[in-house]
Amino acid sequence: MRINGRNHLAWSAGAIVSFSLLATTVGFADSKDNDAADAAKTESPIKHVIILIGENRGTDHTFGVYKPRGKHQTISNILSKGIVNEDGSPGANFPLAQQFLVAPQPAYYIGAPKKAKMAYHGNGQMPQPNTNGAPSAQGTASAPFTPAFLAEAQALDPSPDFTTNTDTILTTGFTNLATNSVDSRIPNAGVLPNGPYILQGPNISDDDYTGDTTHRFYQAWQQSDCSMANATKTNPTGCLNDLFPFVMATYDLGDNTVPAVQKNFSAGNSMGFYDAEQEQASLLKTLADRFALSDNFHQSFQGGTGANHFMFGTGDAAFWSDGNGNAITPPANEIANPNPVSGTTNKYIADNNFSNCSDFAQAGVAPIVSYLEALPYRPEPNCATAHYYMLDNTNPGFYPNGFRAPSPGAQNMIPASPVRTIGDALNDKKISWAYFGGSYNDAVALSNDAVTAGTAATQNSSTALGLAALADPAHSLGVAYCQICNPFQYATSIMGDPAQRTAHIKDTVDLLADIQAGTLPSVSIGKPDGLLDGHPQSSKIDLFEAYVQQVLDALEAHPKLKAETVVFVTWDEAGGYWDSGFIQPIDFFGDGPRIPLLTLSEYSTGGAVNHTYADHVSLLKFIERNWKLKPLTDRSRDNLPNPKMRDDQPYVPRNMPALSDLFDMFDFDHQVKQPFLE
Amino acid sequence: MSLCARAQSAPPEFSADIVSHDAAGTPGAVSKLRVANHKARIDPDDPSGGFFITDTEAGTAYFVKPTQRLFMDAGQSSLLSRIFVRVDPHDPCRQWQAAAIASGALSAGNWRCEQVGSAPADGIMEYRLLWPAQPLSRRWIDPHLEFPIKLQSPEGTSLMLENIRVEAQPANLFAIPADYRKLDPRALLERIKHSDVWAAPDR
Repeated sequence: MRINGRNHLAWSAGAIVSFSLLATTVGFADSKDNDAADAAKTESPIKHVIILIGENRGTDHTFGVYKPRGKHQTISNILSKGIVNEDGSPGANFPLAQQFLVAPQPAYYIGAPKKAKMAYHGNGQMPQPNTNGAPSAQGTASAPFTPAFLAEAQALDPSPDFTTNTDTILTTGFTNLATNSVDSRIPNAGVLPNGPYILQGPNISDDDYTGDTTHRFYQAWQQSDCSMANATKTNPTGCLNDLFPFVMATYDLGDNTVPAVQKNFSAGNSMGFYDAEQEQASLLKTLADRFALSDNFHQSFQGGTGANHFMFGTGDAAFWSDGNGNAITPPANEIANPNPVSGTTNKYIADNNFSNCSDFAQAGVAPIVSYLEALPYRPEPNCATAHYYMLDNTNPGFYPNGFRAPSPGAQNMIPASPVRTIGDALNDKKISWAYFGGSYNDAVALSNDAVTAGTAATQNSSTALGLAALADPAHSLGVAYCQICNPFQYATSIMGDPAQRTAHIKDTVDLLADIQAGTLPSVSIGKPDGLLDGHPQSSKIDLFEAYVQQVLDALEAHPKLKAETVVFVTWDEAGGYWDSGFIQPIDFFGDGPRIPLLTLSEYSTGGAVNHTYADHVSLLKFIERNWKLKPLTDRSRDNLPNPKMRDDQPYVPRNMPALSDLFDMFDFDHQVKQPFLE
Repeated sequence: MSLCARAQSAPPEFSADIVSHDAAGTPGAVSKLRVANHKARIDPDDPSGGFFITDTEAGTAYFVKPTQRLFMDAGQSSLLSRIFVRVDPHDPCRQWQAAAIASGALSAGNWRCEQVGSAPADGIMEYRLLWPAQPLSRRWIDPHLEFPIKLQSPEGTSLMLENIRVEAQPANLFAIPADYRKLDPRALLERIKHSDVWAAPDR
């Protein structure tokens, strides 16, 4: 029996009856081991969820050239659309991916006027790939380390950051080029045509550091180029995704002076992709071949890391408050104004992090809300009155050790958040859970240092931890712990309660130890540190693969635990990488482009590709359905119904806005025991 | 054996536990100490893992992370590595001051360190220290071991050596393997600033 989404059950009475009997009379709480998580009744045989979240890779960027191995499986990617060929070269439909530039406009826009758009034409006219801040050469102090640093293949002890999986690839991948220069490792860089290009050649592969590309809220909406004027039957929301390099080249370009001042070097980096059919991201490909992949899973928030992780943890956006739950106006220097500086093509006036999207008069708000109102399903912006929402990366009001910043406004940190998290909901039901952040223990030590030194009370937490690292080198890796990736670090209910913090906020070493000891919580969220998270420029895709493999290897050694565990592998966002997929706008905040989701369990094998529309909040919905929880709040996205998909438009829900709970990625009547990797 | 006789011979190698106590005397964290010649190794009770190696002859203090094949200047990472080192029992203040300055915890001047009393019957020598803008703290030295055996903070908390065992120590415990690399936190910081982990306004 394949357990479909809730909407499918509504028309499948037989499925309802048989599944209900299974869940209520037999249940899935009859395991005979000593695993405490088994005591919690679940709607499926899944007793443990592990969610591993990498950084900044999109679906076409990672699986754009991928052919499903499952029988009769199809995938939507740049290969299946004919945009590129299997070797990554431009395909017959390459123009479908062409990118445009836009003539200067008087105000911020997300759907560029057709008359103002012009395609880049001629090789090299599209902004070209740039090294940006990727490391130029091997170093001895920070990745990429010199081979001598890790000459011994075997570490003395297992370690989440430096194991046999990672020790070799931490030594490789430097550019040997100047920063902020054309990335000549990429074949034909400098004369690339208008469209996606392959990150593969004699001098570049998935084992190389590459230049980052900006991924922020207003930039991302603008890149998506959404307008109902563009809508078609197959693309009913009218997002063309055709302004990616243009926005990167102009949002920080001071072209009102001679010479123009360019402070950002994202350039054309958004158009790069890997070729999974040619051994790029090979571990991810192997997992897709053997388990299940979604090709319609999306980042839940337009833009970057912090807001996407927060949406994942809450189904909502964070807002600026007085620290006691009451919305207030943030300092002026926190408020965004993406309108163009006079005389420039598109340079944002104030590229800041917060907007009151309930107020049409606020810069940047009206174009997005007007577009939402024009959509046939008229999604609510979900912007509460006088709430300034966090749109871009802002450190939490709590330090990793629970210290509460006394002046968050002055410290560029968002005050403690009252927004209910999935952790709160699991606590209410006494279901075990933990967030495992790489290098968290070191970050706590640095936080203690910063409190003692007094900097925690005056500085931004990134700065304070950095200063502490210089004085306390023994814990300096704590700067690689990602504060904004931990949605619970924002929450008063978790970080403001020492018992909660101690019980639920842990390090990667604890995840591995819990697997080993058979004490894995029901719900586990794993986030590698900044060296292993796969982020372009500061990490690599194969380093995140190594992190994933380490967790899978640990599980492999415990077959009983593995049998009742699903590992979801996904990313926080597409990192600004271009994607060809359909986007369903849900509210003011997103959705954004597609990101891969791999579902690894004994009930999701065979190389299937799932097309049901989903985003980060679908992971919440899976947890809530499996453990019988209610939606987090009356405004959180987990209230949305499961999509009713259609055969002729397999990527577009009939009942937008809608989000899958991912149950249809499993077949709980069909258990297949197989290794994660061959 | 007289104190004079002890002073003529090399100080013994030994191991001990460094036990922290709160102001009420309740024991807490336990770190492991090993001492040989001019070197000391401290394995602190710290979930981050690793150990300190100090060498008073070379004037170095490192923190070593075997799991990551790294070592780094100890800096101010631990008070233990600045205090629990071999000292001249008749002039420890000079070494303590130098260690504090080297770690960055103290700039020159405004430092007072002096022996309390003289020639106590049990041989244990007491020193009191006055740091800039801080109340008095006290330290005790065993002249036979040429090593501090107790530290008491102004608040009454203390660190004490317990389970002292005079015995030879394996030399390899005090050596950093040749393939370990020295980590510079500044370079690490620069790399991290290129990731989304860094969310300070200066990104």
